[in-house]
Amino acid sequence: MIAGIDFSLLTVEIFTAALGLGLLIINLIVPGNQRSATGYLTVLGLLGILLVTLSYEGVEKTFMDGMYIIDPFATFFKRLFLVAAILVTISSLPFVKKLGYNEGDFFSLLVFATLGMMVLVSAGELITLYLGLELMTISFYILVSFKKKDAKSCEAGIKYIILSAMSSALLLYGLSLVYGLTKTTIIEQIASTLAAGTMQPLMALGIIFLLAGFGFKISLVPFHMWAPDVYEGAPTPITAFLAVASKAAALAAFVRIFLIGFPAYQEYWITLVIVLSVLTMVLGNLVAIPQTNIKRLLAYSSISQAGYLLLGIVAFSSMGIGAILFFSIIYVFTNVGAFMVVVALSTSTGSHKIEDYSGLYRRAPLLAVVMLFCLLSLAGLPPLAGFVGKLYLFIAVIEKGYIWLALLAVLMSMVSVYYYLLVVKVMFLKEPPQNSGIIKVPNGLQIAMVFSLILIIVLGIYPKPLSDLAMSVAHTFFPFSF
Amino acid sequence: MITLNHYLVLASLLFCIGLYCAIAKRNAIGILMGIELMLNAVNINLIAFNRFLVPGETTGHMFAIFVIVVAAAEVAVGLAIIINIYREKLSSAVEDFDWLKW
Amino acid sequence: MLEQFTSIGIFIFVGLGFAVSSLLVAWIVRPKRPNPLKMSTYECGLETRGRTWIQFKVSYFLYALVFLVFDVEVVFLIPWAVEFLKLPWIAFIEMFIFIGILVVGLWYVWKEGALEWK
Repeated sequence: MIAGIDFSLLTVEIFTAALGLGLLIINLIVPGNQRSATGYLTVLGLLGILLVTLSYEGVEKTFMDGMYIIDPFATFFKRLFLVAAILVTISSLPFVKKLGYNEGDFFSLLVFATLGMMVLVSAGELITLYLGLELMTISFYILVSFKKKDAKSCEAGIKYIILSAMSSALLLYGLSLVYGLTKTTIIEQIASTLAAGTMQPLMALGIIFLLAGFGFKISLVPFHMWAPDVYEGAPTPITAFLAVASKAAALAAFVRIFLIGFPAYQEYWITLVIVLSVLTMVLGNLVAIPQTNIKRLLAYSSISQAGYLLLGIVAFSSMGIGAILFFSIIYVFTNVGAFMVVVALSTSTGSHKIEDYSGLYRRAPLLAVVMLFCLLSLAGLPPLAGFVGKLYLFIAVIEKGYIWLALLAVLMSMVSVYYYLLVVKVMFLKEPPQNSGIIKVPNGLQIAMVFSLILIIVLGIYPKPLSDLAMSVAHTFFPFSF
Repeated sequence: MITLNHYLVLASLLFCIGLYCAIAKRNAIGILMGIELMLNAVNINLIAFNRFLVPGETTGHMFAIFVIVVAAAEVAVGLAIIINIYREKLSSAVEDFDWLKW
Repeated sequence: MLEQFTSIGIFIFVGLGFAVSSLLVAWIVRPKRPNPLKMSTYECGLETRGRTWIQFKVSYFLYALVFLVFDVEVVFLIPWAVEFLKLPWIAFIEMFIFIGILVVGLWYVWKEGALEWK
């Protein structure tokens, strides 16, 4: 069985693992005062791996009886994680410099978290899926509590560990039931076993456990309680990575298990997903309104975005999957863009209060403009990219006849415009506080921000290439529209 | 004769005890212990399914080994962070962590 | 089915009975002449100084954690060793990569100073 492995298919994963280990070893060899280059090395390494993924265009192979799958869907998400990891690495350079210890560890863990996500989206089998998930979350535990002298960071870390471990246990119990009922852990075989048999009550229990477990990871209401606290306490670049990449990875695994593994039970779980989606959209947006801390505001906004993403699963069609892929890409750039502004501001002022953003336009025009466009794109105003992303998701559910769901989502988007505009008002209309100077932004961060800004605008005006790509990937992954 | 059902009932009881412990305990270490119980319930499930349904294969055994190892890694990181908090704040009770809203 | 448990039942009964009866007999026949020296916590060895309910040194927990992680990782070696002769040569190399990663971990622990008793 092992002789059948084609290791060239695993190049991306092997390179990523080697990069992570290499950074750890460099950190051990190089003396403490010369480690500032590790960040740049990480960016270069990740860029190299991103180039390697280009050679996977259209490759669709599985090996070891479907344990590990390299298909366009997985490759699409791998590129997304790599881009997110690069942007996060760039935005964490000032933070790590300020921290002044364990520089190599930080970037090494970041790379390992990325590796976990890659394994997660490529897993065609439950054990591999679990391993990928845990590699990702355990790396995140350490990253979240990386400011070890900071009480908030440590508390966020311990909360994340407790709740995430609990959700892993729920997920595992569900996985063990699925294994017991189908006698296999390979997702394709699970689907064929379930399609052949009759409805079993225990399977419904297993599916509920899986939904709860994944709900925690994607931070769906009512499993969202950890998200605002952890997002607030974690170092800001890590918050961005958590909000963007870990959510996308868990969602991708969710899509693979439920759409490929359990289509036979579709009518049962789709109702649950609709309930979760409605709760998430309504609560995420309404609770965001009274927030006074920008990180908590973005946390609730990212919870509500997860609710929109679920619409693509509710649609249960290749159109829905394509919309999820398209929206995830845009979600990466807008959210990381917004968090980069938070990073830039907090490294110079040390504050996350929204009122401290007053008069930002006078003090740092670039930051204010980037923040403006990111927030408007998150709110889904045309002609920005977020609008197109939401449009695809709404069309996908309307095609299935869930018009009320699309209407509710539009209504909630309008609510979100309100709280995003509150921040914009503070930034542009309020006077800057006395004795506040111009804010200096590091060069790397500036380049990354401008890059995100351009993409948000260009993808909003001319989304065709990316949407074509997303739709074709979705079509090979899930060629049904029933 | 002891059948698969006995094992499944045992596992579900153990899982519920662990879940109760994880929710009711106010101490971070106690919560981690509860989570360990839940994971062990999963292991019993996996091994029992493997033994009774597909005795010739080892998938369930492998799954259980991976669960054990990952759980150990998870707990190690958790305890390391608790030790760090203890050093800085001298407490390991969850209710003392009130800087952020629960 | 019940016969299978009979021997276990007899075993438990006899074991418990032996422990209880010997305690009972000792309680009946022993002389009772306590003096201060006999009542002290440590009849032999040193007297304790200060409070005995003290916290362990933090380094101890670090050792314990490091031990825990390495101890559990070794579990992967067992199935590999059991099936060693049937596995192709590439499994041999894979296990060396695995052990190599563990060695990097040990190196890290050493370098970070977690193995020193400070």
